[in-house]
Amino acid sequence: MIRTEEMLLNVGPQHPSTHGVFRLILKIDGEIIKEATPVIGYLHRGTEKIAEDLQYTQIIPYTDRMDYLSAMTNNYVLCHAVETMIELEVPERAEYLRVLAMELGRIASHLVWYGTYLLDIGATSPFLYAFRDREHIINLLNELSGGRLTFNYMRIGGVKWDAPEGWIEKVKNFVPYMREQIEGYHELVTGNEIFKERAKGIGTYTKEDAIAHSLSGANLRCTGVNYDIRKVEPYSIYDRFDFQVVTREEGDAWARYECRMQEMEESLKIVEQAVEQFPESGPVLGKVPRIIRPPKGEAYVRIESPRGEIGCYIASDGKKEPYRLKFRRPSFYNLQILPKLLKGENMANLVAILGGVDIVLGEVDG
Amino acid sequence: MEWIQGVFTSSPTIESFAIYLLITVPFLLMVLGFVTYAILAERKVMGYIQLRYGPNRTGGRFGLLQTVADVFKLLIKEDTRPKLADKGLFILAPVIAFVPSFMVLVVLPYTETLTFANLGIGLLYFIAISGISTIGIVTAGWASNNKYALMGGMRAVAQMISYEIPLLMSLVGLVLFAGTLNLTEIIEQQQYVPYILLQPIGFIIFFICALAELNRIPFDLPEAESEIIAGYHVEYSGFRFAFFMLAEYVYMFAMAGLITVLFLGGWQPIIGLGFIPGFVWFALKFSLVVFVFMWIRATLPRLRSDQLMEFAWKVLLPISLANIFLSAILKELFF
Amino acid sequence: MIGLAKGLKHTLKNMGKEKMSYSYPDEAIPLPDRFRGIQKFYPEKCIVCNQCANICPTDCITLTGKKNPDPERKGRIIETFDINFEICILCDFCTEVCPTNAIVMTNNFELAEYSRDELYKDLQWLDENDTNIRKEN
Repeated sequence: MIRTEEMLLNVGPQHPSTHGVFRLILKIDGEIIKEATPVIGYLHRGTEKIAEDLQYTQIIPYTDRMDYLSAMTNNYVLCHAVETMIELEVPERAEYLRVLAMELGRIASHLVWYGTYLLDIGATSPFLYAFRDREHIINLLNELSGGRLTFNYMRIGGVKWDAPEGWIEKVKNFVPYMREQIEGYHELVTGNEIFKERAKGIGTYTKEDAIAHSLSGANLRCTGVNYDIRKVEPYSIYDRFDFQVVTREEGDAWARYECRMQEMEESLKIVEQAVEQFPESGPVLGKVPRIIRPPKGEAYVRIESPRGEIGCYIASDGKKEPYRLKFRRPSFYNLQILPKLLKGENMANLVAILGGVDIVLGEVDG
Repeated sequence: MEWIQGVFTSSPTIESFAIYLLITVPFLLMVLGFVTYAILAERKVMGYIQLRYGPNRTGGRFGLLQTVADVFKLLIKEDTRPKLADKGLFILAPVIAFVPSFMVLVVLPYTETLTFANLGIGLLYFIAISGISTIGIVTAGWASNNKYALMGGMRAVAQMISYEIPLLMSLVGLVLFAGTLNLTEIIEQQQYVPYILLQPIGFIIFFICALAELNRIPFDLPEAESEIIAGYHVEYSGFRFAFFMLAEYVYMFAMAGLITVLFLGGWQPIIGLGFIPGFVWFALKFSLVVFVFMWIRATLPRLRSDQLMEFAWKVLLPISLANIFLSAILKELFF
Repeated sequence: MIGLAKGLKHTLKNMGKEKMSYSYPDEAIPLPDRFRGIQKFYPEKCIVCNQCANICPTDCITLTGKKNPDPERKGRIIETFDINFEICILCDFCTEVCPTNAIVMTNNFELAEYSRDELYKDLQWLDENDTNIRKEN
């Protein structure tokens, strides 16, 4: 009789597939995971606590560093929350610039996800193809905002810069280019039988599980829940665009892959329409008081970030600093289902599941 | 060239030993040179596929000295050993993995005359010896006293057991056609038609199994860096690590050579182009196979271990068995 | 198998495509004008209003002023001005609030040093950092 025993395996925080400093303590029997305990907090910087000592405008660069793959949506959620509190009207041109920046950021973020996911599965080339196209987006956003990753572009009441000359034209030309590249991704990866084998039926959860764990974004929509805040509760000017909410029924890693791939195309649609409707001229910053002092009270706004529902709660006591600031960080919530998904899975599926959930550690740890 | 053949077959004396040494040492150096440039070529090919340039700093524009510098770095690196590692096995493992990789080279016929050992059972020898390396890998995995390394070692064993069988079975059909296990004779029989045309199924299975045997993507489970970091050689550094690397690429050399010999007709020229010397033909076909290896590595994702075993036992093995029957029928009817 | 073949075709096609590599340390990366790099400081323009130090989210600017030595003129002039680039996040707020454009961004971004102490840049260093200055402010 062979005596076997379970083994404790420490995955991370310096493991190549944990997408940052994320740690998992696994109890494994051979290659089968019996129990998984995620350990987070290695990147905790206390953004919310720091924010209590900062004026509202000063918080914006801190939000860049939460979900550093889609800093534009984070910028927006804070600005949107403050604007809601002080009931500020944002100029139309600024709204269009915001939407363009956010949707380009969404594509860039999904591209990073696509590349790193395939890298986890073992294919190296898609990663570099995705990063080539992401580089185009980053160059566009760099021209617009002056930053490649931490844009610090939006301001309460508008945006920092107007679009530079010829920028709208460049975005317009980027849309057909990107469509062609997405075709290429499908050619390279979507039809690949090995990838299908690796992703189909992996990490499946039901609609009820997803809702119970308060998942959001593609992680929720892959189970068939038609829930996208851009449609459900349109903010900014999203009600002016015609786009689909991508859903799948299966709830496995493959469905999440398909959701995200198609979301990129939907984002391109929005970008295309926004470029068409882009106002000829106009201010990009509304009439903002010099020092922003929201009235006593609280506000919660939520928007759709590439990773799911990102929310911002502000409690103000009438001072120029928030009394309490809280971000609902989608990666953190999406991560909660991980121990359940990993139970009983093969070690090799660990990367396919963890990668599919699409977490950004800067956001998980706050 | 005739006299080389004479030396190889003459009775052992001091002189023949000296001549033997004089021929084989340059050959070994040539293999090492190949390994050096195969690594460079792999990085270049992958770089070009992935819209990069690959190494282009050390040694001129094409990075010709990059691998040399890398190997030199490994040589002068401190040799670390985990405190709780099994010392004897830890030292032995790279040797076990490395030595067979050079031993198999002895049977490969490069041209009509340049064969180091014209064994009657050359093919069998090759397959048998190359299986030993896996023992080195599992030894390394066990001796490192590291959980990831252990998993890598176990995966290597599981993979080897699943793949060696279809690998051998896929060759049975070819051997039936050729009627011999001698590699030189197998090449001679491909004067007009290479076996890739007569044994397409056997070729495909053999090629897939060769990828698995070489631990390359899509079958690089024992060292899957995104799952178990570096697998069996996670604790190795310096020269011991270089040994594993070297063994891997020498095997690539050997396996590409074997595919060239078995299926592409070795030194045999394409009909009508006989004026080009045989060695060039061998090199060309060989490079093509190596390129395909690299190309596949740059494209495909990795399989999971259970899928891999399922694939080997439930798909490849039945097909290769069917291939044997088919070959036997064809042989009976047409040859 | 068809999917695999398609993928192989795709990678082969990409072999001849234009390379994306930047040959960075040899050639400077082309950056747009708006790029937020290390600040350039004009001591003569500064009126010591302290707005930059106040708006800085990371409190990395420290400055002191003194009375204008010229008795004819009022106001204060800058005496010391230090930015701690260990914590500066190049957020652009200091240039945004400056009423006289005494502090502006440049396109330079290389800040690697061998010692942390060298990351404290003083008035003179920031004054001499006068290449690639941002045009639009």
